[in-house]
Amino acid sequence: MASANSLRSLMRPSIPVAPRLIPIISSSFSTTTALSASPRAPKSSVVTSTKMKKNFKKGGGQASAPTKKPNPGERKAFRKRIQLSNNSALAVEGIEVLKADTLAQSSNTGKMFSIPDEIIDQLRTLEAFKATQAWNLFRKPHFLARKEAVELISKLDNAATKKEAEKIVLTGSKLSGKSLAVLQAISYALLNKWVVINIPEAQDLTNGNTDYAHIPNTEPAVYSQPVYVLRLLQTIYKANKAVLESLKVEKDWSLTGLQKGNSLAELILTCKESEFAWTTFNALWNELTLPGRPPVLFSLDGLSHISKLSQYRDPAFNLIHSHDLALVRTFVDALSGKTKLPNGGAVIASTSGNNMQFHPSQELVLAQLEAGQSGKPIPKPDPYEKKYDDRVYESLKNTSVLRIEGINHDDTKTLMGYWAASGLLRNVVNNHTIREKWALAGNGNVGEMERVALLTMRM
Amino acid sequence: MASLAGGLRHLRCHGQLLKSQWQQVLAVRPRIAPKMGIRQMTVESNVPTQTADAPTSTGPTTLPFVGVHHARQVPTSPSYFTREPRFNDIYIRLTQLLNKYHRLPTLPANEAPTLPWMKVDQIRQQLGEPVKSSHFAKMIRVAKRLNLIDPSLRPNEIDIVLHQLTRNIDPYVNNIRPITIDKFGRAIGVGKRKESTARAFVVEGTGEVLINGKPLNEIFGRVHDRESALWALTATQRMDKYNVWALVRGGGTTGQAEALTLAVAKALLVHEPALKPALRKAGCITRDPRTVERKKHGRVKARKSPAWVKR
Repeated sequence: MASANSLRSLMRPSIPVAPRLIPIISSSFSTTTALSASPRAPKSSVVTSTKMKKNFKKGGGQASAPTKKPNPGERKAFRKRIQLSNNSALAVEGIEVLKADTLAQSSNTGKMFSIPDEIIDQLRTLEAFKATQAWNLFRKPHFLARKEAVELISKLDNAATKKEAEKIVLTGSKLSGKSLAVLQAISYALLNKWVVINIPEAQDLTNGNTDYAHIPNTEPAVYSQPVYVLRLLQTIYKANKAVLESLKVEKDWSLTGLQKGNSLAELILTCKESEFAWTTFNALWNELTLPGRPPVLFSLDGLSHISKLSQYRDPAFNLIHSHDLALVRTFVDALSGKTKLPNGGAVIASTSGNNMQFHPSQELVLAQLEAGQSGKPIPKPDPYEKKYDDRVYESLKNTSVLRIEGINHDDTKTLMGYWAASGLLRNVVNNHTIREKWALAGNGNVGEMERVALLTMRM
Repeated sequence: MASLAGGLRHLRCHGQLLKSQWQQVLAVRPRIAPKMGIRQMTVESNVPTQTADAPTSTGPTTLPFVGVHHARQVPTSPSYFTREPRFNDIYIRLTQLLNKYHRLPTLPANEAPTLPWMKVDQIRQQLGEPVKSSHFAKMIRVAKRLNLIDPSLRPNEIDIVLHQLTRNIDPYVNNIRPITIDKFGRAIGVGKRKESTARAFVVEGTGEVLINGKPLNEIFGRVHDRESALWALTATQRMDKYNVWALVRGGGTTGQAEALTLAVAKALLVHEPALKPALRKAGCITRDPRTVERKKHGRVKARKSPAWVKR
């Protein structure tokens, strides 16, 4: 074919080429009169065009206010900013500070706790606080130890003592507090000197917004996301600095220029550029899964985004399955129990109520697990459904499902008492107010209750 | 053939002539049948004396029309030659009565007995006359004025005429079936608003709400709609005493929410009838009759007129 194309260039073109309209000024010393003429002078109308209208909008040409446009990224930063205190709110006295074993004790169910100052920065680094949560209304961040949270944390506590991996999927309706449960789990882990790896938004991994690269010598191909992983490594370092500095490297990672006897913190610090990010993360994960290390909490928010095909393409231009992304695969292997955590720990995946992608396999396996846990008849797969995905089914079938829905009346009373003490709720907190807000919030959905009681303006 | 048709031409309207237009109407409402009498028309003035003599003279029976040379049929009512004779008769009768009795003491309008007045369509159907609605309104105004006369002092003839203008309503047919609490403790209320219909099953409980099987926040995204759906319970401070399970169909969110208000209020009234004044004050009893106004021809929407164009 190539030879035929090259021959074609020698032939006379079958389609006549249109003659050039614009003369080419080839050389400065040409004597041709037509070409030596100066290029067309701008017409007078163009000169006086300042008075002309630039567009067809009504109300003058330059009527827009001379405001400064926000710099690139400024709007997003404003949208995503986390404000954890509000000086206008009243400080609430007499609330206990969270301690290492507080949430694991069932006697603390239904009480408010404040997040200790030393872990607030770590939580912020791990992006455990979400912009949708109403932290900015209160003087200090507090949370309610609800029944489900205590159940979750006691599972983590058991996992640490038994040295087993607890694999949990958090589900529930919108605004019911799944992300807050993850935050509580992370707080527990940080206070108990666990190593915490948190992926705050799973969609960042699969929506094609970060770069990806084929990892050499992998068959079938696995793809790493260097820049994302580099940022994740730095987050892990910042959030777990004290723990990682106390852990010494055990395997030989001399390729990264690491000395024997250096700490895991230094292992992370050796990675300065994104090319080595995945190798470093892999090394860190290997080191953390060696026996004798502290427990690991690996959490991810937005499970459905890693169950579907990602937006990345392979060389044949097919969409890459999310499980073929290296970081996602690490998480999924831990969640399915393929990777053992010999020091105990937990893998928590939480579904997202609002930013939800429907995936039939995920729905099926979660429904089956939930039915199995509560002793109900187990739902069968739909024989006419085409979009089932065995990889997703396999990845989730060994987990336990924790459903988070509305809170009960007693917890509502505690929470509303806290809101009233902060000066945010003006109503008298009596039985009637509690039941009213509880019902308006869709039978005790916490996020909705905040919306109904605090965020709805009443004139 | 053509000559035969021509010969039969005079029979063409025969059926129409034979058909009695009066008889049908008489069957519907015999009591305002027209009085078609025969009035003798003579040049002599001895006619009244003749009729006065008739009952007194017991001897030989006098034959009618004896000695009458010129006679023709004349309608009894002067409104016979108008377009709506029967309607006009009633109107004339009403005005006569008003002239006669307008000095009688009256009641204020709100204390007058309420009558189910006839609608203009019904009177057209019953009389078989194309009654103008403006004329009908005039008549009803006079009838309502007569109705203001104190019933204890009102002559019977007024009542008879007013009765002709009322609808024939059987008070025993139109009974409201009372809602009862069934064996499961449920009271079922039905409410409507705009295009929406709601059925609320209210039981004693702890304040749980399910609408179409979902919690309130999934049905109504807007907090205002949620509040209006439960307004009957909130306004009467009963939120903590009842559970609501409801079905809503049709319409939009606002309509569904406000249909629920009515449904819940009606069901709540079954449990606690004493709450009726409180619920009425809260606006949960009266059905909001406003609906979408119909589109008119020559207009873009119900009211919006097309843009004005010069020629």
